[in-house]
Amino acid sequence: MTVMADPVVREEHAAAVGDSPRRRPPRRGRRQWAPLWLLTPAGLVMGVVTVVPIVLLVLISVTDYDQRSLFTGAFAFVGFEQYAAIFTDSDFWWSLVRTIVFTVAMVVGSVAVGMGVAQLMTRLGTVMRYVVTVVLICAWAMPNVASSLVWNWLFQPGYGVVNWLLTQLRVFGDMTDVAWSQHPLLSATSIWALIVWQAVPFIALTLYAAQVQVPQEYYEAARLDGASEWTVYRSITLVFLRPTLLLITILSIIWDYNVFNQIWLISQGGPDATTTTLGIFTYKTAFVGFDLGGGAAISVVTTLILLVLTAVYIRNLVRSGEDL
Amino acid sequence: MSTASLPSSAAAAVDETIGLDERMPRRATLPPGRRRRKRRWVSNLIAVVFSVVWIFPVYWMVNTAFKPRAEIMTPTPIFLPQHPSIDNFIVAVTQSNFLTDLRNSLIVVVATVVLSIVLGFFAAAALSRFRFRGRRTIMVFILVVQMLPGTALLIPTFLMFNSLNLLGTFFGLALAYVAAVLPFSIWVMRGFFIAIPMEIEEAAKMDGANTWVILTRVLFPLVGPGVIATSIFAFIAAWNDYLIAYTFMKDQAMYTLPVWLASFTTPAAGTDFGGQMAGSVLFSLPVIIFFLIIQRNLVAGMSAGAVKG
Repeated sequence: MTVMADPVVREEHAAAVGDSPRRRPPRRGRRQWAPLWLLTPAGLVMGVVTVVPIVLLVLISVTDYDQRSLFTGAFAFVGFEQYAAIFTDSDFWWSLVRTIVFTVAMVVGSVAVGMGVAQLMTRLGTVMRYVVTVVLICAWAMPNVASSLVWNWLFQPGYGVVNWLLTQLRVFGDMTDVAWSQHPLLSATSIWALIVWQAVPFIALTLYAAQVQVPQEYYEAARLDGASEWTVYRSITLVFLRPTLLLITILSIIWDYNVFNQIWLISQGGPDATTTTLGIFTYKTAFVGFDLGGGAAISVVTTLILLVLTAVYIRNLVRSGEDL
Repeated sequence: MSTASLPSSAAAAVDETIGLDERMPRRATLPPGRRRRKRRWVSNLIAVVFSVVWIFPVYWMVNTAFKPRAEIMTPTPIFLPQHPSIDNFIVAVTQSNFLTDLRNSLIVVVATVVLSIVLGFFAAAALSRFRFRGRRTIMVFILVVQMLPGTALLIPTFLMFNSLNLLGTFFGLALAYVAAVLPFSIWVMRGFFIAIPMEIEEAAKMDGANTWVILTRVLFPLVGPGVIATSIFAFIAAWNDYLIAYTFMKDQAMYTLPVWLASFTTPAAGTDFGGQMAGSVLFSLPVIIFFLIIQRNLVAGMSAGAVKG
């Protein structure tokens, strides 16, 4: 180990410190072995459990790998048949449409509420703001398996407290025996509510954090000019929040597009597949029907769509350099 | 860089601009002071309503968990247990495999946390303290990998683990979690590394410390907050995961807690909501406590990982 003379040095520092009398090219030399052995362990794990599976996924998607193959190891190369099958399968297209509608509804709902709560928090006193923060953190911290079970219980026909509350409102009639999970629109609504409930805390807290950083002089100036609250919010707060909002929206798209647990635990994609999103569709194809080849093909398409959806985000990241 | 996006003391510097505001005689239907007070009052009211709605599911879980059986299934919900009892918790803990599955969860969680810290720390060191070819590519790869749908990698990993006989083993499960957590942990720790001035390690080097010593004795303590953030993230990821454990662990004796919880039923008449809610409380409690402890750093940590990302 001791032979490594000056291992932990960035090149600019190497130049500045000028520790080596020999003139050598900045990127050469034995010290460059250090990053290699530092990266190897993580690289191995990522390689074996991430890179190899990505490659495998694509390979499996051009085979007819199924339950039989799991035991016999026999499968055949079928080219793009799986893809052809998917694209002619109306179930796939419906899942795609549902995924997009769900994602849009969830993102819009959670970002809108999150923005409202962040704005609200800036207007509260210390105590009330603390209360809201703790409430948000409790909702955020709930593991989604637990919250899905809680949701099932809240929306239980006959005894669910939400059914009771809605009945008390006397707007929707007697909701007592409504079985949310049996009704297409209602099960989607309750899942939507769950996702929004869990997504709002992160969004609200992040936006609030960004909002308190807006220089106060802008607000003072606007108020001196007699600007209304709405104008102030639109032309100052929103302008400053834009980068954060963009980031949050993209992250929300990624997360909501990938939602699985909550749907699986609340409706299993039912009734009649009306809450089957691409994730659920993949899972059912691959692990219920054990058509792993088909499932892999759906996964590849799902991933590509997600990459397209977030291409802007990735491009920005790569471009901005962010001293990567 | 990372410090720029953190919410910090800025909030404190604010607030005291009110004096200016109040001297302004504009649109004074109400005296400015009363206007403000009224506004504050409305905000507080909205905040109370919001808090009640948002905390309600958590409250209902706890409420149900402490109710005796007779008070759970009632036509009119009971909002506070008349005869609070811990029977549901006893049922949850004793009836099914709670303790076995708790142990399983802990094994996998500890393995995930330790591995992701060690591997993440070294990788973050390499990616922040050195410049080398391919570094940018690695960073972009790390970011993109984080977006992959969970269900996508499940299929190939399942098949691979199946042929490697890793399916249904704790090692395989922990490995899958480490791979899922690593991008985040590398990213976060790298942020902390960057904030450490180079002079510190140069000084250590002057004193004759080698790379290993510099890394473990000098830099590791300095990225402590990053290590804590990573371990909490890894803990939560491994503790909460349902999808991978549910797919990989088919032997009931190897279930982790989320799978236990989701399949929680008692012989007595189908779903036992009291027991289920008690189980949910037990399962959620560590995570909620964690979140509340680190709440001040939560947003900072998230933005270090995400906003920076």
